[in-house]
Amino acid sequence: MGLDLLRGKVAVVTGAHRGIGLAILERFVQCGADVRVVNRRADPAFSERCRALEQEHGVRISECFADFEDEAQVKDAARALCAMKPAPDILVNNVGIAGSTMMFTMTKMEAVRRSFEVNLFSAIALTQALSRQMMRQKRGSIIFLSSSAAFDGGAGIDYSASKAAVIGAARRMAVELGKFGIRVNALAPGLTRTDMGAVTSQADQAQAASRAVLGRIAEPSEIADAAAFLASDLSRFVTGQVLRVDGGILR
Amino acid sequence: MPEAFRHESRKKSMTNKEKYINCFTQALEVPAEGVEKLEYQGVESWDSVGHMSLVAALEDAFGIQMDTDDIVDLSSFEKGIAIMKKYGVEI
Repeated sequence: MGLDLLRGKVAVVTGAHRGIGLAILERFVQCGADVRVVNRRADPAFSERCRALEQEHGVRISECFADFEDEAQVKDAARALCAMKPAPDILVNNVGIAGSTMMFTMTKMEAVRRSFEVNLFSAIALTQALSRQMMRQKRGSIIFLSSSAAFDGGAGIDYSASKAAVIGAARRMAVELGKFGIRVNALAPGLTRTDMGAVTSQADQAQAASRAVLGRIAEPSEIADAAAFLASDLSRFVTGQVLRVDGGILR
Repeated sequence: MPEAFRHESRKKSMTNKEKYINCFTQALEVPAEGVEKLEYQGVESWDSVGHMSLVAALEDAFGIQMDTDDIVDLSSFEKGIAIMKKYGVEI
């Protein structure tokens, strides 16, 4: 898909090393965006992949790093991103972890806090910093990655609760940032074929597929396509929304 | 001398105090008189939107990036002077 939907735009994507984040990076550069990724750690193979994507699509990809469990590191990354010119047009708060698969009565609060730190608090901190740059430009699109688990409780307490909280945060930010021309939306993917999704048992994957009216789980590229829509001007009158990309979980 | 150039060179020759006052008068659209007594929400234009405009003006004028805690603490003209000092800007 080389639609040039995002040509001339600058995007920041967190957790782009693999899975949905990598798919979003690939789709955005295919659509012409320069992308600044924030990953947990450096990986030569990933950097090599970025150089290949740059050559293939005539864009620039830069990398910075943060342990998303560490507020100070997230703030440092935010400062580094704010120092880069031009300011970003798009922010995708993608990074996430799913900590516990135990019953909530057997889940340590430490695990719940850890998921909230990565899935919600790091995204809020990064958005606080980068949205200020978008305010000056009077434009921007911010995308949060929620989950179908926010609606149906289909994962551990830490994941389901933090992904539900992401929706509240996105909606509040949409209210506050609309006057600056900044749109804020969330994506809620169903079970997706990623490393994170692979921890789900085969039986649970089959059950998830059977609940979707399309009868299968998602591919990362399908979530990335929805992200490209929300990032682009095609969705210029869409804000404060949660776009479910779950193959139609209707019951 | 072209007007735009004259304006730029005047900005360059301003003292930090003049630049600081300028940020308030332009971001909050208030006259320079009485600006030193200004407090957050003390005038209609210094609401949350005006506050972010003021922060942007200060960051541009002094080439700094303010931390969120300092943005929250910027509650008055006077308080702002102390905050600017943290970023090496003497008003």
